[in-house]
Amino acid sequence: MQTEVRQARFADVNDDVVRSLVVTGRNYYIALGIAGFVTLTCFFFPWFYQLYYGIGAAGMNSPTVWGTYLASFIFWIGLSHSGTLLSCVLHLTNSEWRKAMYRSAEAMTFFSLFVAITMVMVHIGRPWFIHWAAPYPNQMGLWPNFRSPLMFDVMAIMTYLTGSGIFIYMGAIPDFAAVRDRTTGWRHHLYVLLSLGWRGTDKEWHRLGWAYTFLAVLIIPLAVSVHSIVSWDFALSIVPGLHQTIFAPYFVVGAIYSGTAGIVTVMFVLRKYMNFEHYITKLHFDNLGKLLLLLSLLWTYINMLELFTGWFSGTSTEYEQLKYKLTGFYAPLYWEMILFCAVAPLLLISRKFRTSFVPMLILSIAINIGMYTERFLIVATTLSRQYLPGSWRVYVPSLVEISILVGSLALFVTLFLLFVKIFPSISIYEIKETMGVPKKHGEHHDT
Amino acid sequence: MSNVDRRQFLKLVGAGGVGAGAGFMLAESIKHPVEYLIPYPIPPEEFSPGIATWYNSVCGMCPAGCGISVRTREGRAKKIEGNPLHPVNQGRLCALGQAGLQTLYNPDRLTGPMLQSGERGSEEFIQTTWEESLATVAHRLAAARDGGKNIYLLSEGVRGHLAMLLERFMDGLGSEHLMHYDFAHPHALYAANQRLFGEHTLPYYDIRNTRYLLSFGADYLSNWLSPVHHSLGFGHSRQGTDLDRGRFVQIEAKMSLSGAAADEWIPARPGSEGILALGLAHQILAGGAYTGSDFDDWNAALAGYSAESVAERTGVAAKTIVRLASEFMKAEPGLAIGGGAVDNHSNAVDTLVAVNLLNYLVGNIGKPGGIVFNSDPVVGGPANNRQANFIAMQQLAEQARHGAIDVLIVNNTNPVFTLPHASGFREALASIPMIVSLSSFMDETTTMADVVLPSHSYLESWGDDMPQPGLGFPVAAISQPVVSPLYNTRATGDIILDLAGKLGMKDSMPWDSMEACLKDGWRQIYERSSPDASDFDTFWRDVLVSGVWGEDIHRQDTVVVDKSVIDNIDVAEPEFSGDSEQYPFFLHPYMSTAMYDGRGANLPWMQELPDPMTSIVYGSWVEMNPATAQQLGLRDGDLVSISSEYGSLEAPVVIFPAIMPEVIAMPIGQGHSAFGRYARDRGTNPLQILAPLTATTSGSLATHATRVSLAATGRRAAPVQTGGDTRQLGRNIVQFTGDDSSAGGHSANLNSIPIVVKTT
Amino acid sequence: MNFIDRFMASWRKYRKPGYYEEFDYAWTMTVDLDRCTGCGACVTACQAENNIPIVGEKELGRGREMQWIRIERYWEGEYPNAKLSFIPMLCQQCDAAPCETVCPVSATYHNQDGLNAQIYNRCIGTRSCAVYCPYEVRYFNYYDHHWDAPLEQQLNPDVTVREKGVMEKCTFCVQRIRQAKDHAKDDGRRRVKDGEVQPACVQTCPSEALTFGDRKDANSVVAKKMNDPRAYHVLEETNTLPSVVYLKKVRANAD
Ligand SMILES: Nc1nc2c(c(=O)[nH]1)N[C@H]1C(S)=C(S)[C@@H](COP(=O)(O)OP(=O)(O)OC[C@H]3O[C@@H](n4cnc5c(=O)[nH]c(N)nc54)[C@H](O)[C@@H]3O)O[C@H]1N2
Ligand code: SF4
Ligand code: SF4
Ligand code: SF4
Ligand code: SF4
Ligand code: SF4
Repeated sequence: MQTEVRQARFADVNDDVVRSLVVTGRNYYIALGIAGFVTLTCFFFPWFYQLYYGIGAAGMNSPTVWGTYLASFIFWIGLSHSGTLLSCVLHLTNSEWRKAMYRSAEAMTFFSLFVAITMVMVHIGRPWFIHWAAPYPNQMGLWPNFRSPLMFDVMAIMTYLTGSGIFIYMGAIPDFAAVRDRTTGWRHHLYVLLSLGWRGTDKEWHRLGWAYTFLAVLIIPLAVSVHSIVSWDFALSIVPGLHQTIFAPYFVVGAIYSGTAGIVTVMFVLRKYMNFEHYITKLHFDNLGKLLLLLSLLWTYINMLELFTGWFSGTSTEYEQLKYKLTGFYAPLYWEMILFCAVAPLLLISRKFRTSFVPMLILSIAINIGMYTERFLIVATTLSRQYLPGSWRVYVPSLVEISILVGSLALFVTLFLLFVKIFPSISIYEIKETMGVPKKHGEHHDT
Repeated sequence: MSNVDRRQFLKLVGAGGVGAGAGFMLAESIKHPVEYLIPYPIPPEEFSPGIATWYNSVCGMCPAGCGISVRTREGRAKKIEGNPLHPVNQGRLCALGQAGLQTLYNPDRLTGPMLQSGERGSEEFIQTTWEESLATVAHRLAAARDGGKNIYLLSEGVRGHLAMLLERFMDGLGSEHLMHYDFAHPHALYAANQRLFGEHTLPYYDIRNTRYLLSFGADYLSNWLSPVHHSLGFGHSRQGTDLDRGRFVQIEAKMSLSGAAADEWIPARPGSEGILALGLAHQILAGGAYTGSDFDDWNAALAGYSAESVAERTGVAAKTIVRLASEFMKAEPGLAIGGGAVDNHSNAVDTLVAVNLLNYLVGNIGKPGGIVFNSDPVVGGPANNRQANFIAMQQLAEQARHGAIDVLIVNNTNPVFTLPHASGFREALASIPMIVSLSSFMDETTTMADVVLPSHSYLESWGDDMPQPGLGFPVAAISQPVVSPLYNTRATGDIILDLAGKLGMKDSMPWDSMEACLKDGWRQIYERSSPDASDFDTFWRDVLVSGVWGEDIHRQDTVVVDKSVIDNIDVAEPEFSGDSEQYPFFLHPYMSTAMYDGRGANLPWMQELPDPMTSIVYGSWVEMNPATAQQLGLRDGDLVSISSEYGSLEAPVVIFPAIMPEVIAMPIGQGHSAFGRYARDRGTNPLQILAPLTATTSGSLATHATRVSLAATGRRAAPVQTGGDTRQLGRNIVQFTGDDSSAGGHSANLNSIPIVVKTT
Repeated sequence: MNFIDRFMASWRKYRKPGYYEEFDYAWTMTVDLDRCTGCGACVTACQAENNIPIVGEKELGRGREMQWIRIERYWEGEYPNAKLSFIPMLCQQCDAAPCETVCPVSATYHNQDGLNAQIYNRCIGTRSCAVYCPYEVRYFNYYDHHWDAPLEQQLNPDVTVREKGVMEKCTFCVQRIRQAKDHAKDDGRRRVKDGEVQPACVQTCPSEALTFGDRKDANSVVAKKMNDPRAYHVLEETNTLPSVVYLKKVRANAD
């Protein structure tokens, strides 16, 4: 346990966090304004155009009927991991260092899922009928197709969204109460509602602790299943290059990998721009760096495995996929992905690197670029090289798609910016737990 | 709708016409003769909305004359299918025939008579009335006739009563200048038949029953003479393993659709096909297949065509020549046909004589599976002697330039598009004071007209047809309107009758309408053939229902070839325009399935029908051998400029595996400067840069006699292709089995354990 | 039987490939590759019959063709021994159709005639079915299509016009099958006779490479053709159990 955290006082914690909610600088408004504007112009406007014109506004074709929208969907689902999932694991393993970052990590999960679901809406041809994918009783006796991995997806994602929503909310109740007690006016009323009458009795703390752990246990398999199931959208097809047993672990590892990298990025930003230097420290970066290194090695291993099985199968279809991936139209992207996700993370072996903030930021962004590329390639290389060579065709994203991709990032940032003004973005009470009880006048016990 | 063979067909027709094959649908057309067919909102009493009515008629998309059945609903044509009773196509249609509806409902159809208001070619017209426009034209024609000036009528190849009307009309005008012009007309084949068989007609080529087809360049499955009928025959002899399977050999410089379907594709030097045929003839004589009394004459005539010398001249291995001859001889029966490029070299007539000679030498004339001669057409004259060859078209241009033509009437033919620039045809039109066009579309020739009298589409008109080539027995079919006319247009026959009326030709053309004229004419057929029908009206109705009529008459000729023919048997080396140094490549322009001679270009379905060989849509391209492309440093999609002595054009390269290295091929059909939104300004027209060389004796344009040079432009313009990769990569998508049926395939077990396909 | 047993029983039936065998028809098409000339008549016939839109050069250039049947071409060998083979590719009406399992809303499903039916109204346009289909025969409406007037007068009133966002594909001309069944019923017959119904592509094929019928009827033309030793399924290894049966092309052994 490092000393930096200890330098803050109990009261400072409350002050800092509440300040982050109540005091809003110009920079915040500028950031929110830009993010909101980009969301509107790059996401909603092109999307409405696409709704009007048809999916033809995107670059997809026959047979590459899936494109960046679906890649983005997997990407955001992936990013949603490590947030709640990591938080749960660390909670259960009593990792102290979790406490400063888990709230924002969980928020990432929630908003990533939200954006992922939006990407589904953008992806499908008739989003105005999306409710047909939901099982609800109707006079036609029509049900969705429960054999479809897409249906599994709907279920899994909805469950994960609900689970992680409750998890983040429940964990924040004592903090809402703390904020409630320090605010006035409409904010007070808002937090009165949000804190659900929390008084901080023993019984309440007991129940919260119990329920929190219970949910943490529940969410871990759920998170693993979500990306396994997303992988089945692909793996349950018989498309060469997608029909792979390794896909579920591959997706899960990839998800946690990009999620963890995402956390590093977000923590850097929070630390730098929300003045959380005291709470988010080198320790966090060091630990996350180790985790990233481990995940990158796992990810690399699975990628090598994929190549090997492709080669070993000896079938024309798998072999062509392999060759195409390594040398075909999209090969530059493939090698970019290898560089960003397999080679560059080896830098994490160095402790010095892990504890340097800016290099870690750059690496974390590079990893997520690489991971986006991975998702894009999963769709693009495979679909453009299927069974019948006579129908092979490459796919290049259109401007609308690229714009929506940028816009979805902005949407995420916008949601996050709104979040930090409503949710205490680090956990007040849990931070305090790490600090030990003050002796007197703000000095702390050693643990 | 099974195979209808000749005998079945005659039985069906003889039985009184109500076609069992077309069933109840045809019966509908008795109840609703089209003259009462009026679209909504005031439907006829007995007309049931929601129930389709089918009308039998004749396809007007190419000269093959297939029978069609058109499905109509609520007065609109919905689908064209083949008339199962028609012996030419037996219920089948080609892609172009299927697309006929887009002629009818084409958004760029001319909707009423017009007068040119701008310069010729400007496409500025003003609408006028039929009264006015017909009066103008009639007045002009009368003046020309009375003033002794020349009137020309240039029509698409028409047959039956329309052909007769045109004859009488021109007679009435005192003009001998009635010309038919079809780009694809096989002039050389007619001339060759004339020379060898003494008949200026096309015989029936019995592909169905032949066991060995040697096709010298004839793309018989795509556009040669009667592609649907040939395809039926082809399919029939491809019975797979059940029956004796016919073999198909295609000899041509660039693989055509028929070449792809052939069992063996043999490239021969352009224009040398006739030499090859004589080489085969030489082998046939040597093999003792010919036993005629003039054997020695033949032997002497063909002495110079030993396998070795022919191999040298054609580029086909001597071994192959010997083998082909022996296979052809042994086949019972074999059939040799020639067309396409072979019909379009300077030595085309000699070549086609040589090709026909093969049939003669093995005794396949007048036999099933060989060549069967047709009896005379039932009505109208043999229209083909009106066909204008290139020389005749040039003479027309020459006359025009000298101011010797006062009025030119053009009926639905587009020489401005299909004749090379070098012919000067378009420019010559400028010197004709009055041009009248009877087209349904603003094609390139119509843009030059002063008066446009737009004709109905074939689906709105009455007419009749005697398919050419026939089927070895007389066949005639009625073309009836299947919908009421969409626009203020008139049937060609009616326009001619209207004009005739105004010009006082009632004596020779007493009819009020084309329909009346037809009925009158068919009365003669009724009387001549005394069918089962009790009276003419029943007969007429029966013919309308079945859409076709036939007679069981066969000619039994034996052909004896004249000594003078034997003495003159020879195939000269082909002539080419441009020297081989400066213009190293032979240009091979070919008609594609979809575009035919360019008439398919205004039909969106045809623009979107991927060219089967290249999968290209909507464009022009130039095909070349991979070696040629490599040598010139060209890749697929590179834009090259192609120059002959007579002009140049640009097209993107398509590397094509089955073309001779010294040949480059371009499809005909695109490159329209008019002809509606789908055709205009799309691709290039290779015909425009052809040299004005003709085939000796037939006088037709030698479309394959132009040498060209290629130059990279440095630009790229990849054509739109629907297909991806063309290698199977060991995936067994198209699977093969050997010729020998028993050894060929494994016994099928379609639910067998999945097999895994290995690469390489 | 308790609920679980009932559920399992129906599930097993549902999962059984070819469960429709218990129904009246098993519509089948045979494609004789030895006869197919690649002429494309079937392509245009299908377009005319099924209201398949005109896509335009630009959209075709972007790879958005709509033709429900296409002619694939495969080259082998080099000049002068280059050979070209054509294969018409259309929905194989698989009995174990991968496209059906993936559709989240059951817009594509198997009907009792062994047809892979496509319910345009129900489709939400996920395009997953097109990914899952190994034959690449599903075509997506990337936008609303337009017919230049009066071309729309040709549209077949028995077939819908599809809107943007909807997947479509060969239906074996289901409207013709329905009509034939109606006629059979009107005639007091229980079954449609062999040859009574022909899809548009089969109807027009000039070389008679295509045949259509009910393989449950042992005397039907298709049933007989399926017994030909040349019969095979394309991509048999994917185990989709297609209803389109190809007959191998015959390679004459030239010496
Ligand atoms: N046996 C029986 N009888 C019924 C019913 C039933 O189910 N069974 N249903 C009942 C019901 S619900 C209804 S709504 C009525 C419908 O009965 P009607 O109102 O008689 O409807 P339609 O029979 O369709 O006839 C409408 C007429 O309008 C013409 N028309 C079409 N468009 C136009 C237009 O633009 N202008 C003009 N002026 N005319 C046009 C059509 O040609 C047609 O002749 O029938 C009732 N009668
Ligand atoms: S060959 Fe084709 S275009 Fe010509 S008449 Fe027959 S169906 Fe019509
Ligand atoms: S119509 Fe028949 S011959 Fe022509 S491409 Fe289609 S299947 Fe082949
Ligand atoms: S061919 Fe494709 S679309 Fe047709 S049933 Fe099979 S999987 Fe489905
Ligand atoms: S595109 Fe339509 S039919 Fe295909 S899976 Fe999606 S909803 Fe089902
Ligand atoms: S069966 Fe019907 S829908 Fe299918 S390809 Fe043939 S014509 Fe088109």
